[in-house]
Amino acid sequence: MFDILIKTLKTGTVTTKYPKKPDIAPQGFRGMPELIPDKCTFCGECAKSCPPGVICLIENGQEKSLTLSICGCIFCGMCEEVCPVGAIRLTQEYELASKTKDELLTIIRRTA
Amino acid sequence: MSEEYIEAIRKKFGNLILDETVSNNETYLTIKKDDAVHICDYLYHTLRSALLSMFATDERARDGCFKIHYVFSCKGDAFIIIQIKIEENLPKFTTLTHKIPSANWYEREIQDMFGLVPVGHPDPRRLIHFEDWPAGLYPLRKDFDIRTKPERVKGEYIYRRVEGEGVYEIPVGPVHAGVIEPGHFRFSVAGEPILNLEIRLFYTHKGVEKLFETMSIDKAVFLAERVSGDNSAAHAVAFCQAVEKLAGIDIPPRAKYIRTILLELERIYNHLGDIAGIATDVAYPFGAAHANRSKELMMQLNEKLTGSRLLRGMNAIGGVRRDIGDKKEMISKELDSLQKDFRELMELLVSSPSVADRIETTGRISTEIAKGLHVVGPVGRASGIDSDIRRDHPYAAYPKLEFKVPVSKEGDVNARTNVRADEVYESITLIRQALSRLHEGEIRKDSGKIPDGCALGYTESPRGETFYWVHISNGRIERCKVRDPSFCNWLAIEYAVLDNIVPDFPIINKSLSLSYSGNDM
Repeated sequence: MFDILIKTLKTGTVTTKYPKKPDIAPQGFRGMPELIPDKCTFCGECAKSCPPGVICLIENGQEKSLTLSICGCIFCGMCEEVCPVGAIRLTQEYELASKTKDELLTIIRRTA
Repeated sequence: MSEEYIEAIRKKFGNLILDETVSNNETYLTIKKDDAVHICDYLYHTLRSALLSMFATDERARDGCFKIHYVFSCKGDAFIIIQIKIEENLPKFTTLTHKIPSANWYEREIQDMFGLVPVGHPDPRRLIHFEDWPAGLYPLRKDFDIRTKPERVKGEYIYRRVEGEGVYEIPVGPVHAGVIEPGHFRFSVAGEPILNLEIRLFYTHKGVEKLFETMSIDKAVFLAERVSGDNSAAHAVAFCQAVEKLAGIDIPPRAKYIRTILLELERIYNHLGDIAGIATDVAYPFGAAHANRSKELMMQLNEKLTGSRLLRGMNAIGGVRRDIGDKKEMISKELDSLQKDFRELMELLVSSPSVADRIETTGRISTEIAKGLHVVGPVGRASGIDSDIRRDHPYAAYPKLEFKVPVSKEGDVNARTNVRADEVYESITLIRQALSRLHEGEIRKDSGKIPDGCALGYTESPRGETFYWVHISNGRIERCKVRDPSFCNWLAIEYAVLDNIVPDFPIINKSLSLSYSGNDM
């Protein structure tokens, strides 16, 4: 009985006040992917490498658009790995709950 | 090697062998369909080879027939794979279940997925398909389109009945309290003691094996990772090793050590979670809280090392994707504190009479039952089966590391808890050894073009041996058979609960640590 008390006192409180006190993911965390529109060349390598196929490159006449839906993202980081210009990277963001799928969709466009 | 086994088979059945091919440590023997039972029986009972997996392939396009493969393990890191051909117009084969009880579910699986009938099977009911699945539709046949949405039909599943004065049935599930996976348990009881339990699973079928056939090899690694959520590393490594073996890729030593560290980190957090679960189920929340706290710390370590709490996204064909060598100090510091913490916790757990009272002699699985069903992993080892893929068929960096394989004979919940606790200590030692020997060098080799061929990949996951048999043709996955340890262990629960009381079922279930999703792909 004493042993249990000692162990309990020694351990103290280990829970944190999350979400009041933010819990920041460590460096290198595989969180929400982010597109950097200025760097993107619309080459489509990320779309080809995406295992669940949530990145799509759509060409419509003069306009090219790249869509990224986080709904089906598995945070594998393949897009980041294959991108030749570093236009997509995984961030430390993990609070991704949303009421609509549209909020989880990123679209970038470029007209030639 | 397998030479002496092959020699023995040749001597006894020489004229029955139609074809023999060897690739790596696998010997494929093609034999006549009618002789399969004799040869498998001889391998199992006389040569004492365990049946590791059994599966069918649809090779009608190439050879005009289906094939069934029986995978046996040999001493000295070798495998014998017996193959038989089955004509499309006579889709039948003789059951092996009477001779090798562990063939039971494999044969029923083949019946559901390929429409090949095991003649004389003691329980020919459907296993994976439900009664509303139309007859004559076999998803793993090549002519079955993955987008098929079949009509639902009417049908009935007949459960075994236990009748007698005062015998009641308690149906539980498939939806359970708490966030766990679905499974139906039907108890027949007389008062509190359980007379019979029949389990019905396969509510989580996702068509994973079919899905593999539609994916490129690189992307399939991520699918393998998601077959059984908390055994991600073990599944991914098993798949990668199968592909690397058939392509003859020798991954860099540093990658081998990193994989070993990942696999052992996975074992630690799984075992801590299981011990926490057992403590919860015996109403010892103090122990559960501390085990869960340790588990959380390990998962946070995983996150710091790999960016994923479940160690995902680390493996690739040819090695690993991220180096963890620069975090050696962090790992060894965490392990030091875990070891101290865990030792204190286990001392408190085993010295508590209220825990001992609930777990000693509870849910016993005899060695005989465990051998018959081919129970694997810590559950098998707690029932006296001294087997561990890491030692018997070494892979990654295991041949260079020293470790003990804890075995116990009792086969009760207590033994399973202790085996897991001992394995945690062994894993800590293994990671320390791996860290001290981590070579400098590259972590990934370019895989190049993967040639045609087939090979077995295997790992000892926290639940037991995990097998992948991968067949590559024209750079595509022709067939990927996954055998998760839970597929072997689930039936053991029907025996473990006999003569126990209903309130002990949750502890017994937890102590077996069975995966629903890994079992039913």
